[in-house]
Amino acid sequence: MQLDANRTAEPTSRWPTRLLGGAVVLAIASVGSSCNLDPVHNSAVNSLGPEDPEFYPPESEYHRPGEPCALCHSKKGPAKSKFVLAGTIFWGPDDYNARVDNAYVRILDANKTKKCFVTNCNGNFFVREEDFSTLTFPLLVSVERTVEPGKNEETLVIRRMASHIGREASCAICHIQGLRDFASPGQIRLFDSDQEFRDRNIPLVDCPPPEDFVQVTQCPEDRF
Amino acid sequence: MSCSGRGEAASRRRRRARWLAVLASIAGLVGGGTLLTGTTTSCASPPDSQRYTEIIMPDFPTYRDHVDAYLQRRCGTLDCHGQPGRAYRIYGFTGFRLYNVDAGLVSGQQPTIPEEVLANYQAAVALEPEEMSRLMATQGAEPNKLLLLRKALRIERHKGGPAMAEDDPGYRCVVAWLRIRVVRPAPDGEWEIIPQEDREKLPISAQQDCERAKSFP
Repeated sequence: MQLDANRTAEPTSRWPTRLLGGAVVLAIASVGSSCNLDPVHNSAVNSLGPEDPEFYPPESEYHRPGEPCALCHSKKGPAKSKFVLAGTIFWGPDDYNARVDNAYVRILDANKTKKCFVTNCNGNFFVREEDFSTLTFPLLVSVERTVEPGKNEETLVIRRMASHIGREASCAICHIQGLRDFASPGQIRLFDSDQEFRDRNIPLVDCPPPEDFVQVTQCPEDRF
Repeated sequence: MSCSGRGEAASRRRRRARWLAVLASIAGLVGGGTLLTGTTTSCASPPDSQRYTEIIMPDFPTYRDHVDAYLQRRCGTLDCHGQPGRAYRIYGFTGFRLYNVDAGLVSGQQPTIPEEVLANYQAAVALEPEEMSRLMATQGAEPNKLLLLRKALRIERHKGGPAMAEDDPGYRCVVAWLRIRVVRPAPDGEWEIIPQEDREKLPISAQQDCERAKSFP
């Protein structure tokens, strides 16, 4: 009888412990699902370092030009928006501060779907998942800058990528800013020398842009 | 009573016989395993630093002249096999460059150099040297056994997705290269490597496939 009494009493006394155990498991699971535990990805994100307000408005569409955008803007995070392709266009091969506003970035994917995106005042362009949900690698890409985007659409300069993009969403993974060597062709540029760009007296735009700046949102073929 | 007594004795005998059979089979298995281990280990020779396995290599001039440009173009971008971390690593003009302080090769600037083509060829062979040897010995009879093609056709998992299809010119170009005969029976009954000058050339149709494939995508 004594034994039986113990047996019936035991489960009720274990309930708080079990509840506590369940709560701990749930807490660990929720932490695991909200954080990315991939050490390689975390290390790559950490290696980007902090934002630099001296060069761009932090935490904005203008931030971190020349850096691998889709490293953070991916399923692994930590950014909320997801990009399927993103990068920065520069005027020359070395000058970090000369970035191309209103450049038309044309993408042709493996399904032969063509889409065009425009850079902002800091030279950044990004393709959100919802903007090109069917995007399929490999891609062919070209960049065009017209004389006066939105007004005079005559071509000023156009560059096509010599190779295709196999599977990388961040241009800067291969086009490493400030590095031209055996493993990187350098930043994406419209001119092969900075002098060539300077000789043309093309005005640079501040970022965030002044009030009179015209940000083109669509490429000519999507407008007309 | 006497009947049931006889029955019990018989069933006891049957049980004993069954146990004996089980014990005998266990002893047989253990004995056989020990014998097998003994014979296999006794056949193993001590390590020999002079010993090497000869690899039958596919035809290099055909690779250099017809195949490399396609594989460079198709697989050698910096975000795919144009990377130092890849087992199958490809060098070339628009991708990864062979590191050489004197040459100072920069991605996208100087044309592909012969050393890079040779390195690409060696990478293709070294990916699975034994399998490549078997394939060469059978004159490329079953090319899809090669990891190089299994990955590209996505018979095996390939991070970059399908890179070839059996009906595209690039695949036909690679297979035609692998089918060039490089060994033949020797008079002594063994096999010998066919000298370069005696080897057959890539068929015209395959050359055309390679040309078309070069312009990918």
